[in-house]
Amino acid sequence: MNELARAIRRVALVAAVGFAVLCVYLSWWQVLRAPALRADEHNSRARDRLRTIEPGEVLDADGEVLLGVERGREGWERTYPAGRYVAHLTGYNDRSGLQRGLRDALLGVGRYEKPWAEFIEGPLRGNDVKLTVDLDAQQLATRLLRGRRGAVVALGAQTGAILALVSAPAYDPARILDSEWDYRLFQEDPELPELDRALQGLYPPGSVLKVMTAAIALDLDRVEPDTTFECAGSYEIGGAKITCPRAHGKVTLAEALAVSCNTTFARLGEYVGGDEFIDYVQRFELLEPAHIPLPALPGKIGDLGRQSDGVLLAETAFGQGETLVTPFAIARLTQALANGGTMIEPYLVSEVTSPAGHVVASARERVAGQPVSAGTAAQVAGMMVGVVEEGTGQVAALRGIEVAGKTGSAENPHGEAHSWFTAFAPADRPEVVVTCVVENAGAGSEAAAPIVREMLTHLLRRAGVR
Amino acid sequence: MIPRSQRTELALLLFAAALVGFGAALVCLGMGFPVWRVTRALAVVGAFIAGAMMLDLADPRRDRWLLPIMAAISGVGFLLLWQLDGGSASRQIVWMITGAGIMVAVYYLIEDVRDLARLKYTSGVLALVLVGLTLAFGVEKGGARLWLAIPGVIMFQPTEPVKVLMCIFLAGYVADRRELLREDTHRVAGFQMPRARHIAPLLLMVIFALTIFVGQRDLGAAVLFFGLFVAMAYLATGRKSYSILALVLFAGGAVGAYHAFPHVAARVDMWLNPWADPENRGYQILQSMFALAEGGLVGTGFATGGGDTIPAATTDLIFAVGAQQFGLLGAVAIVVLYALAAHRSFSIAWRATDNFGALLAAALAVVFSLQTLVILGGVTRLIPLTGITLPFMSYGGTSVIVNFIALALLLAISRDCTPHRPPGEVLPR
Repeated sequence: MNELARAIRRVALVAAVGFAVLCVYLSWWQVLRAPALRADEHNSRARDRLRTIEPGEVLDADGEVLLGVERGREGWERTYPAGRYVAHLTGYNDRSGLQRGLRDALLGVGRYEKPWAEFIEGPLRGNDVKLTVDLDAQQLATRLLRGRRGAVVALGAQTGAILALVSAPAYDPARILDSEWDYRLFQEDPELPELDRALQGLYPPGSVLKVMTAAIALDLDRVEPDTTFECAGSYEIGGAKITCPRAHGKVTLAEALAVSCNTTFARLGEYVGGDEFIDYVQRFELLEPAHIPLPALPGKIGDLGRQSDGVLLAETAFGQGETLVTPFAIARLTQALANGGTMIEPYLVSEVTSPAGHVVASARERVAGQPVSAGTAAQVAGMMVGVVEEGTGQVAALRGIEVAGKTGSAENPHGEAHSWFTAFAPADRPEVVVTCVVENAGAGSEAAAPIVREMLTHLLRRAGVR
Repeated sequence: MIPRSQRTELALLLFAAALVGFGAALVCLGMGFPVWRVTRALAVVGAFIAGAMMLDLADPRRDRWLLPIMAAISGVGFLLLWQLDGGSASRQIVWMITGAGIMVAVYYLIEDVRDLARLKYTSGVLALVLVGLTLAFGVEKGGARLWLAIPGVIMFQPTEPVKVLMCIFLAGYVADRRELLREDTHRVAGFQMPRARHIAPLLLMVIFALTIFVGQRDLGAAVLFFGLFVAMAYLATGRKSYSILALVLFAGGAVGAYHAFPHVAARVDMWLNPWADPENRGYQILQSMFALAEGGLVGTGFATGGGDTIPAATTDLIFAVGAQQFGLLGAVAIVVLYALAAHRSFSIAWRATDNFGALLAAALAVVFSLQTLVILGGVTRLIPLTGITLPFMSYGGTSVIVNFIALALLLAISRDCTPHRPPGEVLPR
């Protein structure tokens, strides 16, 4: 054989290798990766197939149906028996809310990918999902927020179970897709009803963040609860002036928290230092988006490590500056302080049940971290009791049950201050954490604290505390 | 009595006809067509059978495997096209029959394929003129300027004939200068390089073609021509270092093109992560992958659709529809048919007794293999997806006719460049 023929054979060999690689690649997509691609959310074939599956229902903690299903003219259709009270949980179509977040569980994806599934498994049906939220608490919170913009988050203090997750204004998920006009109104509503303020609302935390500043300073042994400070009504730092509504005079740290003294906490920020502060922000996961199957946003904070004059740190220490957080993050912070400094990962889904009645997945408590020591948490909790007993949070007091809380009035560029309140009860053996924010509603004691009180009353009764 | 080799070919062609006929019956059942329309699919295979018989009237000493393989590929492709678009399918039948006729005509007209070597510069110039005309007067379709039209008379994709013309030019040029390219070398940066005056016309052609195809946004064709050049450079010199150098240049060019041309960058990005923009730029490749996944191991079956969501399902992405309906087993079977056809073409090349014939067959085989690999690699996300037709399966008049001409050339080489036929012998008529 001559040389040219040999060279041609080598070129042919390269082509043969190409065809072989092609076959390997075909196997990769058609067999090995096929199940994932068949369930891909952009796969319209999958969507057509999934439409034939009866999706599972979403239930509240007591088994009340929050998101139902019925046979419609064009296949399975969703019903919303709990309507606006759980609108941000259920969403309004298969691309919003838990219908998107729990899509795989609700459709039983993974069981039905094989073409012959229907012959073997009978009519296709997805899993039912039971949530930790309580429909009554959702209704109560929605009613309490009526006419306002804001959010309520309630957590089990020791379990991390999400007991209520409410954003106002809400909407009726069954109605907005009735016509293009309705959907347009919904989309263009200046009150942004689609926004889930509990998980996506970014607010300056205002004074509720002082509990964290206090916890950091105590945890680092920079101060004690009875360390005294002198408040002259204003405090100058780096050319900026930090003011209190009035001069609080000589106060202990506990008293400063009770009266929400800005100058004291600005100083506390200096004691702590920017790097340590940021370190604790991470330990409290203050900027983390919620790790639950709903759309959530991370928080923001100023660059404390790089600042030169300390103004930003001082402002951040009492909850202003460039800090923006979600109500959910404040609820988690409160939960950690209520639970001896142990942060439990919050969860929304308690059980996933297959159509045959088997529990295919159930929630397990998971410790997210220990941002501060148990001693520190107890000291802060004690100071928070003082806030409700003799400080700015007296509105939230309950008869016969010790409540620990903190008010906040967050200054913001959109008008009147946002009203914050975060609390847990009973203070000695915490069961329930509730955090509430009401937009542009003034001081924390005015709008948010009464809402938190009503929520605590309901949830404590439900927990059997009273 | 029919000679044995002819009998084998006829048997294989009839087997392909039976296969396609059976598939066509299933398509008729599935789509609700009247059963007599099975004849439409049979007409495609019939074009090959009639072609084979007419070729034998001229000279029966030729390759006996290419026609049955191509008949099977065309028949299966038609079955898919038929479900996707009835109008295109009808036109495809006409193209197939015309193409088979042109194949026979070319086979008759070329008395000795070795004479084509004299037309190498004519071919080269014609290729450049076609490309130049397209650049100047081309009609844009789908973001690429690929069509040349004489309004009301004819409209075709010049890339397709340019492929064959370039093969003739490169084969002729390399056959002429093979000794010079190999022996008259000098050292440049550690590489033994041929003298500039020997290699310049080659490089010039290729650079011109590449520039124009990149300018025309026809990336598939650019890759095809570059690959053809690399293969021919290797065959001319027998040095792997040139191929490696060329591949390094290609990699550099690819990186450069990525940064210089947004449409190249878009293709590559969508290859790396189609989920970044699943509804627009990543749509086509994702739909192709979903079709592959839908098919799984055994496929969804004949006439079960799948083409309505895939852009360019009748042309470039027809294989994705096939992979969905026939599954991995069917898809691999189709790839094996292409591999067999490529093998047959290469074997014609290495059996040829004449350098020009061997080089021309090798060039045609490289173009056929590379074109198949580029589009199938694109469909399976092995490489970025570029628009290029799948030989004998995709819908398209220019593509079908040029593929038949290439087939006729391969068959003519198998006829003329054999030990039975010394140069100068005149065919019995």
